[in-house]
Amino acid sequence: MSSNVILWVVAATLVGAVYIATAMVVGGDRRMLLIGKTTDAHHQFEMSCETCHAASAFAGAAAAEKALNKTCRKCHEDELKAADDSHPRKKFRNPRMAAYREKLDARLCTSCHLEHRPEITRTNAVTVALDFCVACHSEGDQDVRTARPSHAGLGFETCASAGCHNYHDNRALYEKFLVRHAGEPWLAAAPVHKASARQRAPKPAAPAALGRGDAIAPEAALADPAWLDRWAGSGHAAAGVNCGACHAPKSGKNAAREKTLARWVDAPGTAVCEDCHRPQARTFVLGRHGMRRHPRVAKPRNPLRQLRKLGLSEVVPDEVASWLADAVPPTTMTVAEARIPMRPDAAHRALDCGTCHTPHAVDTARAAVEACASCHDDSHTRAYFDSPHHALWRAELAGKAEPGTGVSCATCHMPGTGRRGRIATNHNQNDTLRPNEKMIRPVCLDCHGLGFSLNALADAALVGRNFTGTPAVRVESIDWATKRAATGKRDTGG
Amino acid sequence: MKRTSLTIAALAFGIGSAMATSAAAEGISLRKVADMLYQVMSADREVYTRRVVQRLTVDNKVVTASEHFEDDTALPLPAQMFRFGAERVMDETEDFSYALLSLNPINRKNGPGTDLERKGLQFVVDNPGENFYGEEELGGERYFAAVYPDYAVVEACASCHNGHKDSPRRDIEVGDVMGGVVIRIPIK
Repeated sequence: MSSNVILWVVAATLVGAVYIATAMVVGGDRRMLLIGKTTDAHHQFEMSCETCHAASAFAGAAAAEKALNKTCRKCHEDELKAADDSHPRKKFRNPRMAAYREKLDARLCTSCHLEHRPEITRTNAVTVALDFCVACHSEGDQDVRTARPSHAGLGFETCASAGCHNYHDNRALYEKFLVRHAGEPWLAAAPVHKASARQRAPKPAAPAALGRGDAIAPEAALADPAWLDRWAGSGHAAAGVNCGACHAPKSGKNAAREKTLARWVDAPGTAVCEDCHRPQARTFVLGRHGMRRHPRVAKPRNPLRQLRKLGLSEVVPDEVASWLADAVPPTTMTVAEARIPMRPDAAHRALDCGTCHTPHAVDTARAAVEACASCHDDSHTRAYFDSPHHALWRAELAGKAEPGTGVSCATCHMPGTGRRGRIATNHNQNDTLRPNEKMIRPVCLDCHGLGFSLNALADAALVGRNFTGTPAVRVESIDWATKRAATGKRDTGG
Repeated sequence: MKRTSLTIAALAFGIGSAMATSAAAEGISLRKVADMLYQVMSADREVYTRRVVQRLTVDNKVVTASEHFEDDTALPLPAQMFRFGAERVMDETEDFSYALLSLNPINRKNGPGTDLERKGLQFVVDNPGENFYGEEELGGERYFAAVYPDYAVVEACASCHNGHKDSPRRDIEVGDVMGGVVIRIPIK
């Protein structure tokens, strides 16, 4: 090989290395650094590498892994606490668990959830083999097959896949809970989702309720009767919220006409919604619809600051630094970016408050069903409109059934949650989604028995038909738990 | 109740950390440090068991104690209270660790898991009033370990363990050794 060729190869390698190092440390397009398809949900901020890769670019492997796992915990620790995590990290930090850690280091999220490994990624971003429970529950005193006769012939690949156990969230699956809810009928005598009933109960007119003639807005806006009618019939008008509360937020709540008109904004952003609807805004960014705005998602890098850290701010011209700036990612998720079946005609939509809630009408019934189906296009969504749940929803909307008897998409996927005596819609649609047993306590049990709920949720085909029909799957955990409880003595096997 | 648990855990952690730090500074033996940690843990455990659980569940019968205390609106079991403290410490430091174990645990995960634990738990049963001390290697690190007897201090301890469906031992009497507190300090 001639020396010229060698020189070219060396030069090209150096240029490539500088380009990659610049993208890693300073700023610029990092798509080439993406080492594999990101898991669902995380793909929304996959170019904000620092969200997860928090260690310095020159940190060692151990420090990088530690920092990586810390970022997992920072985003997910609240939901794990709420789930009463069955395998919390602190349990495995005790040195007496060292032998277990050698088999599966449960102190690290990345032991089971590796990113950028699509070829081994299963539901819930799990990347360990289905029989992972074998690591700690198959030997000596911990061998569940000898400790529980009912488990004698079971394969470890069924522990977390048959509707019996979850690694983290077992709030609706633990033994005493199963026993307490054994023998419940499939459907309650008066099935009502309590949180929904409270939210949808008719409310007395507020003393401050406003009518069509009370609207304070510029003449041009008042000239459109459609806007005015929608607002006058909305919850906002009923609660005494005048136009200026959203269109002139800087004028103060229900300000005088002059002040409102002086500070009028035609198209206010979602900040005005968030200002009043804080629990909804707080939970919205926790779910897949609003995750891009989660406060822990790293912001675009400032190349000047990065160069200053490296002592190069004087060397690199400002023009180059600005060229290196990270592309500013859109702050909202678009339907086209979703990885589940969606309607092509909705691809352009970006998800913020107004996507589901028409700003003037504030029709929560539409937001609870039609808004979902205007984007989602999977079998479960399509089947909903012929399901018993939808029939109940129609009956409630028609005034033929009590509030809380109808079941909308939001009833199950965004149920109201109580805090300090007030109910607010949980806008984190992921909170009850996967594993689907998370839905049992806040939703299913209000109307259905635990046995039926477990069976229905374990029947993937029935879920696909949106629960039209009866479960073809039978989860035996309640039977086993009640049998063990009835013996009243230690279940030592044999 | 949660606040009380956390306060006790935080107190134990604070005292424990202070002990470990001052031990390193003044050259107190690891055995002495472990003994002092045990005094704090044992006192808190007995106070909770006697002044809270026994008084409210057995004497006054105004509330129950349950493993699923949140769902049951009940008191945490004394063993849970102890474990919460131990886990809270593990949230903060690896300078020391502790666990409540037994040769006859209701929950299997609280049985002996290492040779030293098995030997120590048997020792405190066979030698009333004495503690067990030793060293062991776990996960590539060397630890000083001490095992202290854990007694059934009140009737609530004995009746609950004797009546639980998963209890391997049904003849516990007040004053019996039910298990042991295992404290470990890494040898650096």
